[in-house]
Amino acid sequence: MQDRVHTHTNGKRWTLDHPELGTGPLPITPYLSAEYFEQEREKIFTRTWMSTGKKVEEIPQPGDYLVLDLAVGKTSVLLVRDKDGRVRGFHNVCKHRGNRLAWNDRGACGAGLMCRFHGWTYAADGRLVGVPEEDMFFDFDKRDYGLSPIATDVWEGFIFINLDPDPPETLHQYLGEVVDLLRGYAFDRLPLSWSYTAEQKCNWRILRDSQLEFYHGKALHQQFAGKVMINKQQPSCHVLDAKLFRRHSMMSFYGDRRNTQRTPMELLMAQFGASFKTFPSARDMDRWPLGVNPTRSKQWFFDIYYIFPNFHLVILSPFLFVAHTMLPETVNRSTWNARGYFPQPTTAAETVTREYNKCLARDVWLEDGSTLENTQRGIESGVLSHYPVQDQELLIRHAHKVAEELLASDGQAG
Amino acid sequence: MSDTRLPEPFTDLEPLAAVWALATETERNQQRLSSTMAQIQAFYDTLLPRMEAVLTYLSTFPPEPPDTLPQEVRRLLYLALAMAEITTAVELHQQPSVPAGFEPRRFIPDHERGKGVGG
Repeated sequence: MQDRVHTHTNGKRWTLDHPELGTGPLPITPYLSAEYFEQEREKIFTRTWMSTGKKVEEIPQPGDYLVLDLAVGKTSVLLVRDKDGRVRGFHNVCKHRGNRLAWNDRGACGAGLMCRFHGWTYAADGRLVGVPEEDMFFDFDKRDYGLSPIATDVWEGFIFINLDPDPPETLHQYLGEVVDLLRGYAFDRLPLSWSYTAEQKCNWRILRDSQLEFYHGKALHQQFAGKVMINKQQPSCHVLDAKLFRRHSMMSFYGDRRNTQRTPMELLMAQFGASFKTFPSARDMDRWPLGVNPTRSKQWFFDIYYIFPNFHLVILSPFLFVAHTMLPETVNRSTWNARGYFPQPTTAAETVTREYNKCLARDVWLEDGSTLENTQRGIESGVLSHYPVQDQELLIRHAHKVAEELLASDGQAG
Repeated sequence: MSDTRLPEPFTDLEPLAAVWALATETERNQQRLSSTMAQIQAFYDTLLPRMEAVLTYLSTFPPEPPDTLPQEVRRLLYLALAMAEITTAVELHQQPSVPAGFEPRRFIPDHERGKGVGG
Protein backbone atom coordinates (compact mmCIF):
# COMPACT_ATOMS: atom_id res chain seq x y z
CA MET A 1 0.00 0.00 0.00
CA GLN A 2 1.29 3.40 -0.97
CA ASP A 3 2.40 5.64 1.86
CA ARG A 4 0.39 8.83 1.40
CA VAL A 5 1.80 10.84 4.27
CA HIS A 6 3.38 13.49 2.15
CA THR A 7 0.52 14.15 -0.19
CA HIS A 8 -1.89 14.26 2.70
CA THR A 9 0.03 16.59 4.93
CA ASN A 10 1.62 18.82 2.32
CA GLY A 11 0.43 22.17 3.54
CA LYS A 12 -3.10 20.90 3.76
CA ARG A 13 -5.71 22.64 5.90
CA TRP A 14 -8.41 20.07 6.50
CA THR A 15 -10.86 22.69 7.68
CA LEU A 16 -10.90 24.28 4.22
CA ASP A 17 -12.47 21.13 2.78
CA HIS A 18 -15.58 22.07 4.78
CA PRO A 19 -16.42 25.68 3.93
CA GLU A 20 -19.79 25.34 5.65
CA LEU A 21 -17.92 25.19 8.98
CA GLY A 22 -16.06 28.44 8.42
CA THR A 23 -12.76 29.25 10.05
CA GLY A 24 -13.85 31.76 12.67
CA PRO A 25 -13.64 31.44 16.43
CA LEU A 26 -16.26 29.51 18.41
CA PRO A 27 -18.43 31.03 21.14
CA ILE A 28 -17.82 30.22 24.81
CA THR A 29 -21.50 30.44 25.79
CA PRO A 30 -22.22 26.72 25.20
CA TYR A 31 -19.63 25.88 27.86
CA LEU A 32 -21.08 28.18 30.49
CA SER A 33 -24.76 28.82 30.06
CA ALA A 34 -27.27 26.91 32.19
CA GLU A 35 -29.97 27.76 29.62
CA TYR A 36 -27.84 26.34 26.82
CA PHE A 37 -27.18 23.20 28.85
CA GLU A 38 -30.91 22.73 29.43
CA GLN A 39 -31.42 22.98 25.67
CA GLU A 40 -28.72 20.36 25.11
CA ARG A 41 -30.39 18.14 27.67
CA GLU A 42 -33.76 18.41 26.00
CA LYS A 43 -32.72 18.31 22.37
CA ILE A 44 -29.56 16.22 22.36
CA PHE A 45 -29.13 13.98 25.37
CA THR A 46 -32.74 12.86 25.61
CA ARG A 47 -33.17 12.39 21.86
CA THR A 48 -30.04 10.84 20.39
CA TRP A 49 -28.28 7.54 20.76
CA MET A 50 -25.84 7.82 23.61
CA SER A 51 -23.06 5.50 24.72
CA THR A 52 -23.42 3.92 28.13
CA GLY A 53 -19.71 3.06 27.99
CA LYS A 54 -20.63 -0.48 28.97
CA LYS A 55 -20.10 -3.63 26.96
CA VAL A 56 -22.31 -6.68 26.66
CA GLU A 57 -19.64 -8.84 28.31
CA GLU A 58 -20.29 -6.99 31.55
CA ILE A 59 -23.72 -8.61 31.80
CA PRO A 60 -22.79 -12.08 30.55
CA GLN A 61 -25.64 -14.25 31.88
CA PRO A 62 -29.42 -13.98 31.55
CA GLY A 63 -30.64 -11.99 34.54
CA ASP A 64 -27.34 -10.11 35.00
CA TYR A 65 -27.82 -6.39 35.17
CA LEU A 66 -26.06 -3.03 35.43
CA VAL A 67 -27.41 0.27 36.68
CA LEU A 68 -26.37 3.58 35.21
CA ASP A 69 -27.53 6.73 36.95
CA LEU A 70 -28.06 9.26 34.22
CA ALA A 71 -28.46 12.74 35.60
CA VAL A 72 -28.72 14.23 32.12
CA GLY A 73 -31.79 12.07 31.51
CA LYS A 74 -33.09 12.61 35.04
CA THR A 75 -33.34 8.87 35.39
CA SER A 76 -31.61 5.69 36.43
CA VAL A 77 -31.11 3.13 33.68
CA LEU A 78 -31.35 -0.61 34.23
CA LEU A 79 -29.48 -2.65 31.61
CA VAL A 80 -30.36 -6.32 31.85
CA ARG A 81 -29.83 -9.44 29.80
CA ASP A 82 -33.10 -11.27 29.30
CA LYS A 83 -33.52 -15.03 29.14
CA ASP A 84 -33.17 -14.98 25.36
CA GLY A 85 -29.79 -13.31 25.70
CA ARG A 86 -30.89 -9.89 24.51
CA VAL A 87 -29.67 -6.79 26.35
CA ARG A 88 -32.60 -4.58 27.28
CA GLY A 89 -32.85 -1.20 28.94
CA PHE A 90 -35.49 0.06 31.35
CA HIS A 91 -36.05 2.98 33.60
CA ASN A 92 -34.93 1.69 36.99
CA VAL A 93 -38.23 2.74 38.49
CA CYS A 94 -40.86 0.54 40.08
CA LYS A 95 -44.18 1.15 38.34
CA HIS A 96 -46.13 0.97 41.59
CA ARG A 97 -45.20 4.24 43.26
CA GLY A 98 -41.90 5.06 41.64
CA ASN A 99 -39.29 3.67 44.00
CA ARG A 100 -35.80 2.84 42.75
CA LEU A 101 -35.92 -0.80 41.72
CA ALA A 102 -32.29 -2.04 41.63
CA TRP A 103 -30.13 -0.47 44.30
CA ASN A 104 -26.78 -2.01 43.48
CA ASP A 105 -24.78 -0.83 40.49
CA ARG A 106 -24.59 -4.40 39.23
CA GLY A 107 -26.05 -7.76 40.10
CA ALA A 108 -27.94 -10.83 39.00
CA CYS A 109 -31.68 -10.89 39.33
CA GLY A 110 -32.20 -14.63 38.77
CA ALA A 111 -35.93 -15.29 38.90
CA GLY A 112 -36.77 -11.62 39.07
CA LEU A 113 -35.94 -8.20 40.37
CA MET A 114 -37.95 -7.28 43.45
CA CYS A 115 -38.70 -3.77 44.63
CA ARG A 116 -37.82 -3.35 48.28
CA PHE A 117 -40.77 -1.10 48.96
CA HIS A 118 -43.79 -3.42 48.51
CA GLY A 119 -42.18 -6.44 46.93
CA TRP A 120 -43.29 -6.02 43.32
CA THR A 121 -41.20 -8.32 41.15
CA TYR A 122 -40.18 -7.92 37.52
CA ALA A 123 -38.73 -10.43 35.04
CA ALA A 124 -35.55 -9.64 33.09
CA ASP A 125 -37.70 -8.74 30.07
CA GLY A 126 -39.47 -6.06 32.10
CA ARG A 127 -42.75 -7.87 32.72
CA LEU A 128 -44.33 -7.39 36.12
CA VAL A 129 -44.58 -10.96 37.38
CA GLY A 130 -45.23 -10.68 41.10
CA VAL A 131 -47.48 -8.41 43.13
CA PRO A 132 -48.03 -9.28 46.80
CA GLU A 133 -51.72 -9.24 47.76
CA GLU A 134 -52.61 -8.52 44.17
CA ASP A 135 -56.28 -9.25 44.87
CA MET A 136 -56.50 -6.14 47.03
CA PHE A 137 -55.95 -3.81 44.04
CA PHE A 138 -58.91 -2.67 41.95
CA ASP A 139 -59.40 -3.35 38.23
CA PHE A 140 -55.75 -4.30 38.17
CA ASP A 141 -53.87 -6.02 35.36
CA LYS A 142 -50.14 -6.72 35.83
CA ARG A 143 -49.65 -6.33 32.06
CA ASP A 144 -50.30 -2.61 32.45
CA TYR A 145 -47.40 -2.14 34.85
CA GLY A 146 -44.32 -3.60 33.21
CA LEU A 147 -41.08 -1.61 33.48
CA SER A 148 -40.85 1.39 31.15
CA PRO A 149 -38.47 0.44 28.36
CA ILE A 150 -35.57 2.54 27.12
CA ALA A 151 -34.48 2.05 23.52
CA THR A 152 -31.31 -0.02 23.79
CA ASP A 153 -29.05 -1.39 21.08
CA VAL A 154 -25.58 -2.78 20.67
CA TRP A 155 -22.79 -2.00 18.22
CA GLU A 156 -19.59 -4.07 18.34
CA GLY A 157 -20.50 -5.03 21.90
CA PHE A 158 -20.95 -1.43 23.09
CA ILE A 159 -24.32 -0.74 24.67
CA PHE A 160 -26.11 2.43 23.56
CA ILE A 161 -29.39 3.86 24.76
CA ASN A 162 -31.79 6.46 23.43
CA LEU A 163 -34.14 8.18 25.85
CA ASP A 164 -36.47 9.06 23.00
CA PRO A 165 -39.25 6.50 23.44
CA ASP A 166 -39.58 6.25 19.66
CA PRO A 167 -36.16 6.90 18.08
CA PRO A 168 -36.45 8.08 14.48
CA GLU A 169 -33.50 5.90 13.45
CA THR A 170 -31.85 2.70 14.60
CA LEU A 171 -28.44 2.78 16.27
CA HIS A 172 -26.79 1.42 13.13
CA GLN A 173 -28.48 4.07 10.98
CA TYR A 174 -27.33 6.67 13.47
CA LEU A 175 -23.73 5.42 13.40
CA GLY A 176 -23.74 5.52 9.60
CA GLU A 177 -20.35 5.20 7.90
CA VAL A 178 -18.55 4.39 11.15
CA VAL A 179 -20.04 0.89 11.14
CA ASP A 180 -18.33 -0.09 7.87
CA LEU A 181 -15.10 1.74 8.61
CA LEU A 182 -14.49 -0.16 11.83
CA ARG A 183 -16.02 -3.51 10.86
CA GLY A 184 -13.53 -6.28 11.52
CA TYR A 185 -11.65 -4.55 14.31
CA ALA A 186 -10.90 -6.78 17.31
CA PHE A 187 -13.57 -5.22 19.54
CA ASP A 188 -14.81 -8.69 20.42
CA ARG A 189 -11.38 -10.09 21.21
CA LEU A 190 -9.84 -7.38 23.38
CA PRO A 191 -11.06 -7.56 26.97
CA LEU A 192 -11.72 -4.56 29.14
CA SER A 193 -8.42 -4.34 30.98
CA TRP A 194 -8.56 -1.11 32.93
CA SER A 195 -11.20 1.49 33.69
CA TYR A 196 -10.98 4.78 35.56
CA THR A 197 -13.82 7.07 36.53
CA ALA A 198 -13.50 10.67 37.63
CA GLU A 199 -16.08 13.25 38.59
CA GLN A 200 -15.06 16.57 37.09
CA LYS A 201 -16.31 19.99 38.06
CA CYS A 202 -16.50 21.11 34.46
CA ASN A 203 -18.93 21.33 31.59
CA TRP A 204 -19.14 18.15 29.52
CA ARG A 205 -17.85 19.95 26.43
CA ILE A 206 -14.57 20.76 28.16
CA LEU A 207 -14.19 17.08 28.89
CA ARG A 208 -15.31 16.09 25.39
CA ASP A 209 -12.96 18.52 23.65
CA SER A 210 -10.00 17.39 25.74
CA GLN A 211 -10.03 14.06 23.88
CA LEU A 212 -11.17 15.40 20.53
CA GLU A 213 -7.91 16.85 19.25
CA PHE A 214 -4.20 16.14 19.56
CA TYR A 215 -2.90 19.62 19.00
CA HIS A 216 -2.15 19.36 22.72
CA GLY A 217 0.04 16.28 22.26
CA LYS A 218 3.39 18.00 21.86
CA ALA A 219 2.86 20.29 24.86
CA LEU A 220 0.71 18.54 27.48
CA HIS A 221 2.03 15.07 26.64
CA GLN A 222 5.49 16.22 25.67
CA GLN A 223 7.32 13.35 27.37
CA PHE A 224 5.01 10.68 26.02
CA ALA A 225 4.27 11.96 22.53
CA GLY A 226 6.57 14.88 21.75
CA LYS A 227 9.25 12.95 19.91
CA VAL A 228 6.80 10.64 18.17
CA MET A 229 5.02 13.66 16.69
CA ILE A 230 8.12 15.28 15.21
CA ASN A 231 7.55 15.58 11.48
CA LYS A 232 10.49 17.13 9.70
CA GLN A 233 8.64 17.51 6.40
CA GLN A 234 5.61 19.20 7.95
CA PRO A 235 6.59 20.47 11.39
CA SER A 236 3.19 21.90 12.30
CA CYS A 237 0.89 19.39 10.66
CA HIS A 238 0.04 16.09 12.33
CA VAL A 239 -3.16 15.07 10.61
CA LEU A 240 -3.07 12.16 8.16
CA ASP A 241 -6.78 12.09 7.51
CA ALA A 242 -10.01 13.63 8.74
CA LYS A 243 -13.52 12.51 7.96
CA LEU A 244 -16.61 14.40 9.00
CA PHE A 245 -19.90 12.54 8.96
CA ARG A 246 -23.44 13.72 9.56
CA ARG A 247 -23.01 13.58 13.33
CA HIS A 248 -19.73 11.80 13.97
CA SER A 249 -16.16 12.38 12.91
CA MET A 250 -12.71 10.88 12.85
CA MET A 251 -9.14 12.06 12.67
CA SER A 252 -6.02 10.02 11.99
CA PHE A 253 -2.76 11.29 13.44
CA TYR A 254 0.81 11.22 12.29
CA GLY A 255 3.38 9.69 14.56
CA ASP A 256 6.74 8.06 13.95
CA ARG A 257 7.06 5.42 16.62
CA ARG A 258 10.67 4.86 15.61
CA ASN A 259 11.26 8.13 17.43
CA THR A 260 9.87 6.65 20.62
CA GLN A 261 12.30 6.89 23.45
CA ARG A 262 13.82 3.43 23.60
CA THR A 263 13.89 3.38 27.36
CA PRO A 264 15.11 0.23 29.13
CA MET A 265 11.66 -0.75 30.39
CA GLU A 266 10.02 0.02 27.05
CA LEU A 267 12.41 -2.41 25.35
CA LEU A 268 11.81 -5.08 27.98
CA MET A 269 8.05 -4.71 27.76
CA ALA A 270 8.14 -5.01 23.96
CA GLN A 271 10.19 -8.19 24.40
CA PHE A 272 7.73 -9.85 26.78
CA GLY A 273 4.33 -8.65 25.60
CA ALA A 274 2.34 -6.15 23.62
CA SER A 275 3.66 -2.64 23.96
CA PHE A 276 1.70 0.51 23.45
CA LYS A 277 4.50 2.36 21.77
CA THR A 278 5.85 -0.39 19.53
CA PHE A 279 4.59 -0.09 16.02
CA PRO A 280 2.51 -3.08 14.96
CA SER A 281 3.67 -5.09 12.01
CA ALA A 282 3.17 -2.98 8.90
CA ARG A 283 2.98 -6.15 6.81
CA ASP A 284 -0.55 -6.82 8.01
CA MET A 285 -1.82 -3.34 7.37
CA ASP A 286 -3.81 -4.21 4.27
CA ARG A 287 -5.93 -6.54 6.38
CA TRP A 288 -6.82 -3.87 8.92
CA PRO A 289 -10.33 -2.44 8.90
CA LEU A 290 -10.66 0.34 6.31
CA GLY A 291 -11.12 2.93 9.02
CA VAL A 292 -8.05 2.04 11.09
CA ASN A 293 -5.10 4.03 9.80
CA PRO A 294 -7.17 4.81 6.70
CA THR A 295 -4.23 6.27 4.74
CA ARG A 296 -2.17 3.16 5.53
CA SER A 297 0.67 5.38 6.59
CA LYS A 298 3.76 3.83 8.12
CA GLN A 299 3.95 6.97 10.25
CA TRP A 300 0.64 6.36 11.97
CA PHE A 301 0.13 7.18 15.62
CA PHE A 302 -3.59 6.63 16.28
CA ASP A 303 -7.13 7.39 15.17
CA ILE A 304 -9.82 9.16 17.13
CA TYR A 305 -13.42 8.26 16.35
CA TYR A 306 -15.94 10.58 17.92
CA ILE A 307 -19.44 9.14 18.20
CA PHE A 308 -21.62 12.14 18.93
CA PRO A 309 -22.36 13.16 21.61
CA ASN A 310 -20.47 11.33 24.35
CA PHE A 311 -18.23 8.52 23.07
CA HIS A 312 -14.64 8.53 21.83
CA LEU A 313 -12.78 5.53 20.51
CA VAL A 314 -9.03 5.94 20.27
CA ILE A 315 -7.47 3.16 18.22
CA LEU A 316 -3.75 2.83 18.80
CA SER A 317 -3.06 -0.51 17.19
CA PRO A 318 -4.79 -3.71 16.15
CA PHE A 319 -4.37 -4.86 19.76
CA LEU A 320 -5.10 -1.76 21.81
CA PHE A 321 -7.90 0.73 21.92
CA VAL A 322 -9.23 3.19 24.42
CA ALA A 323 -12.85 4.21 24.97
CA HIS A 324 -13.93 7.41 26.70
CA THR A 325 -17.51 7.90 27.79
CA MET A 326 -18.46 11.34 28.97
CA LEU A 327 -21.70 12.03 30.75
CA PRO A 328 -22.96 15.47 31.72
CA GLU A 329 -24.37 15.82 35.22
CA THR A 330 -25.12 19.54 35.35
CA VAL A 331 -23.90 22.56 33.40
CA ASN A 332 -20.62 22.45 35.33
CA ARG A 333 -20.26 18.82 36.40
CA SER A 334 -19.44 15.78 34.31
CA THR A 335 -18.35 12.19 34.68
CA TRP A 336 -15.44 10.80 32.72
CA ASN A 337 -14.93 7.09 32.25
CA ALA A 338 -11.67 6.15 30.51
CA ARG A 339 -11.08 2.53 29.58
CA GLY A 340 -8.31 0.47 28.04
CA TYR A 341 -8.93 -2.69 26.03
CA PHE A 342 -5.82 -4.80 25.76
CA PRO A 343 -4.97 -8.48 25.10
CA GLN A 344 -5.66 -10.88 27.92
CA PRO A 345 -2.34 -11.90 29.52
CA THR A 346 -1.42 -15.53 29.02
CA THR A 347 1.44 -15.54 31.55
CA ALA A 348 2.31 -13.65 34.74
CA ALA A 349 4.97 -11.79 32.74
CA GLU A 350 2.26 -10.46 30.42
CA THR A 351 0.37 -9.27 33.50
CA VAL A 352 3.39 -7.03 34.06
CA THR A 353 3.46 -5.73 30.49
CA ARG A 354 -0.25 -4.96 30.73
CA GLU A 355 0.38 -3.08 33.98
CA TYR A 356 3.11 -1.05 32.29
CA ASN A 357 0.75 -0.04 29.48
CA LYS A 358 -2.02 0.71 31.97
CA CYS A 359 0.20 2.96 34.10
CA LEU A 360 1.44 4.76 30.98
CA ALA A 361 -2.15 5.38 29.82
CA ARG A 362 -3.21 6.44 33.31
CA ASP A 363 -0.41 8.96 33.63
CA VAL A 364 -1.23 10.44 30.22
CA TRP A 365 -4.89 10.73 31.31
CA LEU A 366 -3.82 12.44 34.54
CA GLU A 367 -2.16 15.03 32.31
CA ASP A 368 -5.41 15.42 30.36
CA GLY A 369 -7.35 15.60 33.62
CA SER A 370 -5.22 18.46 34.88
CA THR A 371 -6.69 20.81 32.28
CA LEU A 372 -10.40 20.22 32.86
CA GLU A 373 -11.33 22.02 36.06
CA ASN A 374 -8.69 24.66 35.39
CA THR A 375 -10.31 25.39 32.03
CA GLN A 376 -13.73 25.57 33.70
CA ARG A 377 -12.40 28.12 36.20
CA GLY A 378 -10.71 30.01 33.39
CA ILE A 379 -13.82 30.42 31.31
CA GLU A 380 -15.96 31.19 34.39
CA SER A 381 -13.70 34.20 34.92
CA GLY A 382 -15.41 35.75 31.93
CA VAL A 383 -12.12 36.52 30.20
CA LEU A 384 -13.08 34.64 27.03
CA SER A 385 -16.06 35.37 24.84
CA HIS A 386 -14.88 33.10 22.06
CA TYR A 387 -11.87 30.98 21.21
CA PRO A 388 -9.85 30.34 18.04
CA VAL A 389 -9.85 26.85 16.56
CA GLN A 390 -6.75 25.39 14.92
CA ASP A 391 -6.93 23.08 11.91
CA GLN A 392 -6.15 20.07 14.10
CA GLU A 393 -9.13 21.00 16.28
CA LEU A 394 -11.49 20.53 13.34
CA LEU A 395 -13.50 17.84 15.13
CA ILE A 396 -14.42 20.35 17.83
CA ARG A 397 -15.58 22.82 15.19
CA HIS A 398 -17.67 20.13 13.53
CA ALA A 399 -19.16 18.92 16.82
CA HIS A 400 -20.21 22.47 17.62
CA LYS A 401 -22.02 22.72 14.27
CA VAL A 402 -23.73 19.36 14.80
CA ALA A 403 -25.00 20.48 18.19
CA GLU A 404 -26.18 23.82 16.83
CA GLU A 405 -28.16 22.02 14.14
CA LEU A 406 -29.81 19.73 16.65
CA LEU A 407 -30.65 22.62 18.97
CA ALA A 408 -32.17 24.53 16.06
CA SER A 409 -34.10 21.53 14.79
CA ASP A 410 -36.83 21.84 17.38
CA GLY A 411 -35.91 18.50 18.81
CA GLN A 412 -36.22 16.41 15.67
CA ALA A 413 -32.97 14.56 16.09
CA GLY A 414 -33.26 12.48 12.91
CA MET B 1 5.49 -7.60 59.06
CA SER B 2 4.40 -9.87 56.29
CA ASP B 3 6.63 -12.50 54.80
CA THR B 4 8.95 -11.01 52.18
CA ARG B 5 10.47 -14.17 50.77
CA LEU B 6 10.98 -14.35 47.01
CA PRO B 7 11.70 -17.37 44.79
CA GLU B 8 15.24 -18.76 45.11
CA PRO B 9 16.92 -16.92 42.20
CA PHE B 10 15.70 -13.56 43.50
CA THR B 11 16.34 -13.64 47.26
CA ASP B 12 18.70 -10.66 46.91
CA LEU B 13 15.66 -8.55 45.99
CA GLU B 14 13.82 -9.29 49.24
CA PRO B 15 14.64 -5.90 50.84
CA LEU B 16 12.90 -4.24 47.86
CA ALA B 17 9.95 -6.59 48.16
CA ALA B 18 9.51 -5.58 51.80
CA VAL B 19 8.65 -2.07 50.60
CA TRP B 20 7.26 -2.46 47.09
CA ALA B 21 5.62 -5.88 46.73
CA LEU B 22 2.10 -4.52 47.24
CA ALA B 23 -1.04 -6.25 46.01
CA THR B 24 -2.98 -3.43 44.38
CA GLU B 25 -2.35 -0.59 41.95
CA THR B 26 -3.67 1.88 44.51
CA GLU B 27 -1.17 0.73 47.13
CA ARG B 28 1.70 0.73 44.65
CA ASN B 29 0.76 4.18 43.39
CA GLN B 30 0.54 5.51 46.96
CA GLN B 31 3.96 4.01 47.70
CA ARG B 32 5.32 5.77 44.60
CA LEU B 33 3.76 9.10 45.55
CA SER B 34 4.97 8.93 49.16
CA SER B 35 8.55 8.02 48.17
CA THR B 36 11.34 10.42 47.29
CA MET B 37 12.70 10.37 43.78
CA ALA B 38 15.96 9.03 45.20
CA GLN B 39 14.11 6.06 46.70
CA ILE B 40 12.25 5.41 43.45
CA GLN B 41 15.43 5.71 41.42
CA ALA B 42 17.22 3.28 43.78
CA PHE B 43 14.38 0.76 43.36
CA TYR B 44 14.52 1.13 39.57
CA ASP B 45 18.32 0.91 39.41
CA THR B 46 18.40 -2.20 41.59
CA LEU B 47 15.61 -4.06 39.83
CA LEU B 48 16.30 -3.09 36.22
CA PRO B 49 19.37 -5.35 35.72
CA ARG B 50 17.31 -8.27 37.09
CA MET B 51 14.09 -7.44 35.28
CA GLU B 52 14.71 -9.65 32.25
CA ALA B 53 15.32 -12.63 34.53
CA VAL B 54 12.23 -11.75 36.57
CA LEU B 55 10.04 -11.61 33.48
CA THR B 56 11.54 -14.80 32.07
CA TYR B 57 10.73 -16.51 35.37
CA LEU B 58 7.20 -15.08 35.49
CA SER B 59 6.63 -16.26 31.91
CA THR B 60 6.42 -19.80 33.25
CA PHE B 61 3.40 -18.99 35.45
CA PRO B 62 -0.23 -18.33 34.57
CA PRO B 63 -1.44 -14.74 34.67
CA GLU B 64 -4.26 -14.63 37.13
CA PRO B 65 -5.81 -14.67 39.53
CA PRO B 66 -2.61 -14.03 41.50
CA ASP B 67 -3.87 -15.96 44.51
CA THR B 68 -3.43 -19.17 42.55
CA LEU B 69 0.33 -18.54 42.43
CA PRO B 70 2.71 -19.77 45.12
CA GLN B 71 3.24 -17.00 47.67
CA GLU B 72 6.85 -16.27 46.72
CA VAL B 73 5.93 -16.05 43.04
CA ARG B 74 2.99 -13.81 43.78
CA ARG B 75 5.29 -11.51 45.73
CA LEU B 76 7.72 -11.42 42.79
CA LEU B 77 4.80 -10.54 40.49
CA TYR B 78 3.77 -7.70 42.81
CA LEU B 79 7.35 -6.44 42.84
CA ALA B 80 7.43 -6.46 39.02
CA LEU B 81 4.05 -4.68 38.92
CA ALA B 82 5.53 -2.00 41.20
CA MET B 83 8.37 -1.63 38.68
CA ALA B 84 5.73 -1.04 35.98
CA GLU B 85 4.13 1.54 38.30
CA ILE B 86 7.29 3.57 38.90
CA THR B 87 8.63 3.35 35.36
CA THR B 88 6.85 6.52 34.22
CA ALA B 89 8.22 8.39 37.25
CA VAL B 90 11.78 7.50 36.19
CA GLU B 91 11.57 7.32 32.41
CA LEU B 92 9.03 10.07 31.70
CA HIS B 93 8.48 12.49 34.54
CA GLN B 94 11.76 12.47 36.51
CA GLN B 95 9.64 12.99 39.61
CA PRO B 96 7.30 10.75 41.64
CA SER B 97 4.00 12.27 40.45
CA VAL B 98 2.70 13.35 37.06
CA PRO B 99 3.84 16.99 36.82
CA ALA B 100 0.83 19.23 37.57
CA GLY B 101 -1.36 16.17 36.96
CA PHE B 102 -4.93 15.52 38.02
CA GLU B 103 -5.19 14.12 41.55
CA PRO B 104 -4.72 10.33 41.36
CA ARG B 105 -7.05 9.84 44.32
CA ARG B 106 -9.90 11.30 42.29
CA PHE B 107 -9.11 9.08 39.30
CA ILE B 108 -10.85 6.00 40.59
CA PRO B 109 -9.65 2.61 39.30
CA ASP B 110 -12.89 0.71 38.74
CA HIS B 111 -10.81 -2.38 37.94
CA GLU B 112 -9.90 -2.63 41.63
CA ARG B 113 -13.51 -2.45 42.73
CA GLY B 114 -14.78 -5.67 41.27
CA LYS B 115 -16.77 -3.92 38.57
CA GLY B 116 -16.37 -6.70 36.08
CA VAL B 117 -13.05 -5.47 34.78
CA GLY B 118 -10.27 -7.97 34.16
CA GLY B 119 -7.06 -7.91 36.16
